[in-house]
Amino acid sequence: MTKGPAKKIEDITKGFAKHNYICSEQISSAVYLANELEKPILVEGPPGVGKTELANTAALYFKKDLLRLQCYEGLDETKALYEWRYGKQLLYTQILKEQMQEVLKGAKGLKDSLDRLMEFEDIFFSESFLEARPLLKALTSNKGSVLLIDEVDKSDEEFEALLLEILSEFQVSIPELGVKKAKIKPLVFLTSNNSREISDALKRRCLHLYIPFPDAKLERKIIRARVPEISKNLQVQLVNFVQGLRSLDLKKLPAISETIDWAKTLILLNAKELSEDLAKETLNVLLKHQQDIEVVQKEVPRLVMAADG
Amino acid sequence: MDRVLTDFVKTLRNANIQVSPAETLDAMEVIEKIGYDNRELLKNTLSFTLPKTLEEKEKFDSCFEDFFNVQPLQKKGLFQTREPSQLSGQVNSDLAHQLLEDNQADIQLSISKAAEKAEIREIKYFTQRAVFSRRILDIMGVGSLEEELSHLGQLNENELPSDLEQQLRNQLTQLRERVSDYVQQQFLLHGDVSGERLREQVFKSMNMGQIDRSYLHEVHSLVRKMAKKLSNLHSRRKKNFRRGKLDIRKTIRDNWVNESILFNLRWSYKKIDKPKILVICDVSGSVGAYARFMLMFIFSLTEVVSKIRAFVFSSYLGEVTDEFKSSQLEEAIESALSKYGGGSTDYAHSFSDFLSLCLDDLDKKTTVIILGDARNNFGPDKAFLLKSVYERSKQVYWLNPEGKFRWNTGDSIMNTYSAYCTKVFECGTLEQLERVIYKLLKTAA
Repeated sequence: MTKGPAKKIEDITKGFAKHNYICSEQISSAVYLANELEKPILVEGPPGVGKTELANTAALYFKKDLLRLQCYEGLDETKALYEWRYGKQLLYTQILKEQMQEVLKGAKGLKDSLDRLMEFEDIFFSESFLEARPLLKALTSNKGSVLLIDEVDKSDEEFEALLLEILSEFQVSIPELGVKKAKIKPLVFLTSNNSREISDALKRRCLHLYIPFPDAKLERKIIRARVPEISKNLQVQLVNFVQGLRSLDLKKLPAISETIDWAKTLILLNAKELSEDLAKETLNVLLKHQQDIEVVQKEVPRLVMAADG
Repeated sequence: MDRVLTDFVKTLRNANIQVSPAETLDAMEVIEKIGYDNRELLKNTLSFTLPKTLEEKEKFDSCFEDFFNVQPLQKKGLFQTREPSQLSGQVNSDLAHQLLEDNQADIQLSISKAAEKAEIREIKYFTQRAVFSRRILDIMGVGSLEEELSHLGQLNENELPSDLEQQLRNQLTQLRERVSDYVQQQFLLHGDVSGERLREQVFKSMNMGQIDRSYLHEVHSLVRKMAKKLSNLHSRRKKNFRRGKLDIRKTIRDNWVNESILFNLRWSYKKIDKPKILVICDVSGSVGAYARFMLMFIFSLTEVVSKIRAFVFSSYLGEVTDEFKSSQLEEAIESALSKYGGGSTDYAHSFSDFLSLCLDDLDKKTTVIILGDARNNFGPDKAFLLKSVYERSKQVYWLNPEGKFRWNTGDSIMNTYSAYCTKVFECGTLEQLERVIYKLLKTAA
């Protein structure tokens, strides 16, 4: 009997948890659907909520290779898709020159030698001189792969257009070689921090997953999985404190990654419970703007009190 | 089943969520995989395919709750048939027969037929729901049923309603509920659920001075949306200008692989200057409301503008740039209005203040926008001050919130000042404001 979708989604949640990635049902159903429908997922959310980590974990879970493409302004197809190995091609023409004598030996006239040259196999533009970059690698992989296109909002609009063919058809057209189709469709994750609006064309080809800041319960679970040596008491206080912080009006709200860093810091400092002084001293792990730190300094007593209750 | 999905998509579109046909197909594939059984799962998975921004997701959640609440009620009704009542022989009206027979599918069918007659597709606003429910009930013949009920009531001697009457009354209440459910669902499908598009339209074409304070928050988000649209347009235009001079260094480096034969040329991108904008706003009583929207708009454009300085004046002038940058926009506007507003307008004094504050900042990249009605309370105009602003900057725009027919009447000296402006616009509504700023971005860089 085949398992129902709900069961499979639960399996994914559990499987991810084994790799220390605690996810909500939403996230695991997105992964399930992406895998079933063979569609890319566009993951959005504030920085530090585990967008990139999701792809890493998916690669571990599905036991596939992870290919990562970090996007930046000016990224083009020679770095993302493929490039010719110019050096090797040059060497090849050198070798060709030497061999040419033999091939053309005894040819009479220009036409005859040209005919012979045509018979000669042309491998100048062939796969042996093709240097595959992450996108092409993901398509040609024999085992299937997980492709992570990180921070796609940082790339130019032109690059986005390049992605369209790959994401909807899972193929690329190389002018010299023709269309290359994926043997096994890769599982694709795109992440975005929303520094720029992604084009509708790209959005419509993807499943759209928004990962928000976790609620207290989920965050406690995550801390437990990532920093297992933390005491229960401290972990509860810590999460309550961070949840309180997120309700303030700050420039950059602390995300899960900051909470994890903070938990590790407190462990290093051998803290058993959260006190006002301790919180004040270690605020800079959580907050990345001086302005925010100043705002929060005043609120620390209240937040620590609230975290206790 | 597909019908349910397309109806749902229609509801979403009504709520201003953009759903393309391809996305609908995706959603159909999703439903094939998971089915309609698990509500939570259905909601989760549909939310991956249909809404594609955070705002759309929030709207999607509420639409989903509304839509899939009505649906199952109906489906249950379809299969629920009880034994026909023995009493149906004792009544006259058709509706009463139907109700007593208790055939849910038939009743549902006659509701939809009546609704068709009542032209339910025309429903637009939620206030119309009661009207349409009543109309449908009338068409179904509730009138004669009610008559019969009152007749039955009169027949009773011992003051207690008979079994028949009781049963009919219960059925009628159920019918009313069912009809109102039906109308609610149809309203979701055909009406503009949140009235959002309508409201936006009204706000855009309404005189900014007339917009009620209680709507400020909504207008603010509308302004931000408009500004975002403009800045997207503008930043795309910028890209087209991107070819510049030949970049020798890059070209040589990139062509190393071609044995230094310059094969691929590389261009250094020409940097497009972002415009520098100085805004001078009259915040006296008559124009204060306009200044609010103007400043909102300008400060939502920070992405495509390199530098903004804002000044407000009524009888004297002061700079408010820092307040706008550091604090919340709404608060900043309030404080600016209360600090500088309220005095009687003195353009001459304010222009001289302006020049002493930022004469050095005026250069050939600067656009100066003046918002005011040019009503100087019959004081001296000192137009030469504006002239020196005009000569030093790239362009001076004057936005006058008053209608053109009122310019130069009474104490308005628009003519005197317009001589030293690149362009003068009438700018009373958000739509007009949007148009002006579009022009400005096009010409300012």
